[in-house]
Amino acid sequence: MSNALEHSYNLAQTRQKWTTIAVIALILGLVLTTFDVIWAFFRAPIVASDVVIDPPAVLEGGTVITNQLLFSQKIFYFHVPVAIVSFVLIIAAAVYAVLHLMHHSAETDLRSKTCMEVGLVFIIGTMISGDLWTRHDWGVWWVWEPRLTTYFILTLLVIAYFVLRTAIDEPERKARFSAVFAIIAAIDAPISFGITRLIPSSIHPVLERGDSGMSPDMLIPFVCGIFGMLLVAFGIFRLRLLLQEQKLEVESLKARLEELDRQ
Amino acid sequence: MTAKAKAPGGWQQYCALLGKDIRMELRTREMLVSMGVYAILVLTIYGAALSQTASSFDILSVAAGLMWALILFTSLLGLNRSFSHETENSSLEGILLTPVSRPLVFAAKATSNLIFLLAVEVIAVPLFFIFFMGQAELGSTTPLMILPIILGSIGIAGIGTFLSTLTLNTRGRDVLLAILMVPVVFPLLYACVSATSVALLGIEGQIEIFWRSLLLAGGYDVIMLAASWGLYEFVLGS
Amino acid sequence: MSDPTQSTSNVITTDIAVHNLSKTFGTRKALDGVSFEVPRGAFLSVFGPNGAGKTTLLRILATLSRPSRGTLTMLETDALQKPEDLRGSIGFISHQPLVYGDLSALENLVFYGRLYGADDVENKAKELLALVELDHRANDAARTFSRGMMQRLSLARALINDPQIILLDEPYSGLDPHATFVLDSLISRIREGKTFVMVSHDLERGHALCTHALLLDRGKVVAFDLAENIGIEDLRKAYDPAMLGGVLS
Repeated sequence: MSNALEHSYNLAQTRQKWTTIAVIALILGLVLTTFDVIWAFFRAPIVASDVVIDPPAVLEGGTVITNQLLFSQKIFYFHVPVAIVSFVLIIAAAVYAVLHLMHHSAETDLRSKTCMEVGLVFIIGTMISGDLWTRHDWGVWWVWEPRLTTYFILTLLVIAYFVLRTAIDEPERKARFSAVFAIIAAIDAPISFGITRLIPSSIHPVLERGDSGMSPDMLIPFVCGIFGMLLVAFGIFRLRLLLQEQKLEVESLKARLEELDRQ
Repeated sequence: MTAKAKAPGGWQQYCALLGKDIRMELRTREMLVSMGVYAILVLTIYGAALSQTASSFDILSVAAGLMWALILFTSLLGLNRSFSHETENSSLEGILLTPVSRPLVFAAKATSNLIFLLAVEVIAVPLFFIFFMGQAELGSTTPLMILPIILGSIGIAGIGTFLSTLTLNTRGRDVLLAILMVPVVFPLLYACVSATSVALLGIEGQIEIFWRSLLLAGGYDVIMLAASWGLYEFVLGS
Repeated sequence: MSDPTQSTSNVITTDIAVHNLSKTFGTRKALDGVSFEVPRGAFLSVFGPNGAGKTTLLRILATLSRPSRGTLTMLETDALQKPEDLRGSIGFISHQPLVYGDLSALENLVFYGRLYGADDVENKAKELLALVELDHRANDAARTFSRGMMQRLSLARALINDPQIILLDEPYSGLDPHATFVLDSLISRIREGKTFVMVSHDLERGHALCTHALLLDRGKVVAFDLAENIGIEDLRKAYDPAMLGGVLS
């Protein structure tokens, strides 16, 4: 009996440790992100957009725009980190999925699912910020350009993941099939991005957002933003995982009590 | 006596599985008829949808898209039924009891689905042309569209078979297949529509886009088929 | 003069060795620490009330399902590492006939035979159809068969690969007396040298056929012994929930 108690105590200690780390990560992340955004809006230079590539020099709205000073480009400092992190989360979910298929443990499944959950939050954040950017820049709510399209598909993939989970009752199958689909989704997302980028749309121009070749003034907040977002994601992931683990523990304790009752 | 050392030939097993699917389909004609009828229904809906377009409407600009939408919807219907014979008497278990390798089951099923899809396309695509492209000026490169049709069908049949196995014993099976499949197949669709469009329009100097799209579609097929092959055993066992 | 209490060969091979097998579905333990061994040529009857885990056990033996814990060795092969090596030597009959309704009986057998890589499949199929007394219906669609005939076809399917281990999941359910008689005689005809595991709710028949008996309840082994050491009365009592746990020594 004391062994079980000791085990519980150790578990609680580990949990405590992780919670502290998670909260620190979260706060640090938020600080960095805020720093990034504030710098972006008040200090970073306003950027000129790249020339519209294809088709050349034609833009929706009829006006020919080749270069434009974009204030709205500042959203870039928020949008791109969020986008990158959401992608990282999907990859992480797929990595846990592969681990699950190798070891068939409930822990890997839980982590995979949590990555997807946090990923969903970030993807929606990407979509919204990306959409705001588009609205501000081009005056429309939606454009089928590579990034937005890819993130829309990614959103659908993550939603599909959760619909799949809901559709299967048996836990073992649920975990296994979710893992398989997570892998497929993680493969599909970059393909989606590649294909929409490499195939020019005859109607909608491929827009380069000019996020290469940044001056140090821009690089610093940007990098801070990425790290900040990663920390925020990590913090949320850990806290959510903690919540889920405790919930599962409660459930298994209930099941054990029921069994003892019956005997 | 230890377990039998003789391993049955993979090719023989593949042919047995494929032969069984084709034989059953020829006997019951379930999938072909339902897919064929469905394709005609979709064309009918297109008829209503396009009924108000002006005579100057450039059908060629949307033709590729409409055609691929038709193919995808029809394939969703067919894929849902691809395991119907197996679920009837739990014969899928009968197959799993044999030493056949799980990916081989996938390959055979995907092949039979591909054959049925192509068979329906042979009828549906010409019908589409007859119904809607009568007055369009088709580009000289139009026959090239056979290539994206083949590549696209391979991809749809492949990943579609894989995903329909996932949805076999789940709630809301048909809808679930569509929910899973559409985002996954989107890049393939995008590439195929592009290639088909270029072929139909036949504009000078755009042929490079055709080949690029075709290459990307082919790349998609290879990657997704490899992933399906590798992951299939996890989708079948319990 | 050889000792009649010993088998003719001095080496008794264990065809099936189960050790500490457990299977969990979510929070429910379908099997919990099941262990037993079945020697070659034995007939093991598995008894137990509904939900005892009998079908789960059988499916694991058939390599259709993987246990959560434990080891399973069949025909001296680790069934968990190399199930594909074993499938050619196992025949499984479940409640479902596992045949294609739209194919004829012969076509069904040839199909499965090819998947097993059996030699001379067509002739073998015909022989088996004769064995199960279905040769007059060889070219009829399986869809037209009665339940009894389906079971016989299923038995033929299970035998197409000439298995060493035969697993039966409630094969007598739904059969009329004649079909039962036919199945009985078929089993006794193929019995020689093969190892059987049968799940049955038919206590008399299951007990009469078996050399070993396994009694499960709620996933645990309540009793495992030679048939002569477990009486029918003990088995009957096992199905009464109030009596379980303490009746059998």
